[in-house]
Amino acid sequence: MSRPLLEIAGLSKSFGGLQAVDGVSFDIQSGEILGLLGPNGAGKTVCFNLVSGVYPPTAGRISFDGRRIEGLASHAIAGLGIGRTFQIVKPFAQLTVLENVLAARGIARYRGLTDIWSSWKTPAERREGLSLLERVGLAGLAERRAGLLPLGDLRRLEIARALAVGRKLLLLDESFSGLRHEEIAHLEALIRVIRAEGVTVLLIEHNMRVAMGLCDRLVVLDHGRKLAEGRPAEVRASEAVIQAYLGRKGSAHAA
Amino acid sequence: MSGYLITIGTIIAINSIVACGLNVIVGFAGQISLGHAAFFGIGAYTAALLATQAGLSFWAALPCVIAVSAAIGLLLGIPSLRVREDFLAITTIGINFIVEAVFNNFEFFGGALGIGGIPRAALFDLKLRGAEFFCLCLFFLSLVMAACWWLTRCWAGLACFALREEETAAASVGISPVRFKLLAFVIGTGMAGLGGALYAHFMRFISASDFAFPLSVSLLSMVVVGGIGTLWGPILGAFIIGVLPEVFRPLIDYRILFYTLLLLLMIRFQPGGLLGENSAARRVFAKILPGGKP
Amino acid sequence: MQLFLEQLLNGLATGSIYALITLGLALVYGIMRILHVAHAAVYSIGAYVGLWFFNLTSSLLLAVLGSMAVCALVGISIERFVYFPLLKHPPFVPLIASIAILLSVEELCRLIAGPQILTFPAELPFPEFRVAGVTVTATITAVYCITAAVLGLLWVITTKTELGLAMRAASQDMAVADAMGINSHLIVSLTFAIGSAAAAVAGILVGIYFNQVYPTMGAVPAYKTLALIVVGGLGSVPGAVVASLLLGMAETLLIGYANIPLPRDALAFIAMIGVLMWRSQGLLGSR
Repeated sequence: MSRPLLEIAGLSKSFGGLQAVDGVSFDIQSGEILGLLGPNGAGKTVCFNLVSGVYPPTAGRISFDGRRIEGLASHAIAGLGIGRTFQIVKPFAQLTVLENVLAARGIARYRGLTDIWSSWKTPAERREGLSLLERVGLAGLAERRAGLLPLGDLRRLEIARALAVGRKLLLLDESFSGLRHEEIAHLEALIRVIRAEGVTVLLIEHNMRVAMGLCDRLVVLDHGRKLAEGRPAEVRASEAVIQAYLGRKGSAHAA
Repeated sequence: MSGYLITIGTIIAINSIVACGLNVIVGFAGQISLGHAAFFGIGAYTAALLATQAGLSFWAALPCVIAVSAAIGLLLGIPSLRVREDFLAITTIGINFIVEAVFNNFEFFGGALGIGGIPRAALFDLKLRGAEFFCLCLFFLSLVMAACWWLTRCWAGLACFALREEETAAASVGISPVRFKLLAFVIGTGMAGLGGALYAHFMRFISASDFAFPLSVSLLSMVVVGGIGTLWGPILGAFIIGVLPEVFRPLIDYRILFYTLLLLLMIRFQPGGLLGENSAARRVFAKILPGGKP
Repeated sequence: MQLFLEQLLNGLATGSIYALITLGLALVYGIMRILHVAHAAVYSIGAYVGLWFFNLTSSLLLAVLGSMAVCALVGISIERFVYFPLLKHPPFVPLIASIAILLSVEELCRLIAGPQILTFPAELPFPEFRVAGVTVTATITAVYCITAAVLGLLWVITTKTELGLAMRAASQDMAVADAMGINSHLIVSLTFAIGSAAAAVAGILVGIYFNQVYPTMGAVPAYKTLALIVVGGLGSVPGAVVASLLLGMAETLLIGYANIPLPRDALAFIAMIGVLMWRSQGLLGSR
């Protein structure tokens, strides 16, 4: 079809002596839901961090919408319309839930020199923020201090923040972990709605049922390398993938 | 009102202005600065030089004073904010020592003797002294507080708060850490410079030792004791730290000891400050007033 | 040439003393990430207590041992009663507490022992040398030997003993160390004890070397040693030692010998900013 939304080629990252990601390549088409799977320590979150600019790659290229983005700073990448959640939740603890989301809504304004001086405490902004919270089911907790929320709610807050920023691409890092049954179903439905609105989704997930059911395609990593890529049925049947997961059972997981 | 009270009041008002600036840096943006006294001094020396060498009035010199303090804050802020958090504390201490050394050793700044003979500030030919000058200080304090209040309501302030809480997450929502840390720094040092100009025209004689490291510690203590990141905290802190030595004056020889021990106890048992979250004062007020203090 | 050599030896002695004080600061930072400015207070206490014991017993050995014991206790108390409860707060909170302790101790020393400069007329039982036409006094020999001994002992402890291994583990990751059965809090207390004891020795050495003990003797080392641990690389004890020696020599040579008109105490901070510009993790720090 047309050019992929996100192209990753030969991506590598080493920390001191540790090769966390080694020559990973894959593409994401606009409008698809791609799952990034693999045992613990496979390098999935590192890939996310590379794409979202937390640190630069040691080698390789990342292109978003045709332009090279590897090595760009996090805030610049966010400005391109890429939103993300974090595996270890990072709420703005002293701010309220609504303020957390509004902070993300400010993305359009943070770059200029004049916009940053206008007020965010307007009824219009409040409405927009509350509607974002509605989508993740947190509207009732809008005035609660974020630091007091339980993990499940914090995960949903991360998603709300990422939604405010990610108008083109959403990176969800284990957003389903720690959620209750109803919350999982709600989130699955939300992601499908988001995709219908034209946002592409890349998610890291350990919950196999969710990953298989939600994703159009999967990429499996192991020890920093790509092991398999394809539709869920193909990947599930792949020998290499089965080995990688079965081989892990019974042995200690990497952090 | 007695002259003594007005003098104390003026000092507290000036310190409040400088402490509010520090609160923007430390409380709003979460960046530690232990060198804030240096910018207070830069403002004072700039005002003193413009008044004595260039003959400018307090009002004519003021924009320049604030601009110079903010500009030097920007210059020193750029390398400082790129270092790790722990380094920042020490780097700002270093800035204080170096700026003090510059003031002490260069003839341009009057060397060890400082600069004297600074004329009083005047309002339409009326030389401001005593209670009038105190009112001038209160006027500027209210301007500074209004600016801080607006900051909490605007996107720049929200960006600083987010940065303070979680830098990585703030970057992921488009907040450039360097940009907003610098912004807070520049605003804070600009306010310190304003305080410096008032100080120069109040004391009418300044020297490098007025702006040494112990003052930076006092300023940070004011912000922390009052309640870091709150709107009224710096003023309460400036009041307490300004009034305590006077309260302990009858103890003569023991007063500094009492003052430092009290600071230690306050920090140890109320590290959030008197207006901070969960402070004893807040809990008492929560029982008395329905809404509690802001 | 002779003057240069003399100044070099003096500078090395000054640097050695800085190293003795700074190593405690580096150890504490490495394990707790706290800027223990009050360490300089422990150093002052070391000098005063050492002098008091010496006046009491006329034995330098007893003075050193007694002072080391007292300072170790003081260091441990500061950790337990002030730093430990404040750990969950932002780092400037324990920093302000530390500064408050330093100021309080200064005042206490002034009130108890008086504001005047006291003398420490002890004989250091070390030999005098002549090297290349320069006399190395007993005091300077003592400084070299004692510093070398302390550093050597510390090196042996950290690299060759289980205690040292536990210390290094705890400073890398205290939670993991705890999980592995290391009593982290004990290790922290030991770290403070060791660093404080070294500071006590430094205080006594300075008292004898300059023959001066006075309440504000800790003020300048307090902030200078901060700059030194930054230059050395935060968390690196060898780095702190190297930085201390270099600064001692630089201060003496640049200002005493070359007569460069810089204020002596600002040199440490200027050097710090210079090093940070060039290498943002310090001389021996890790990124």
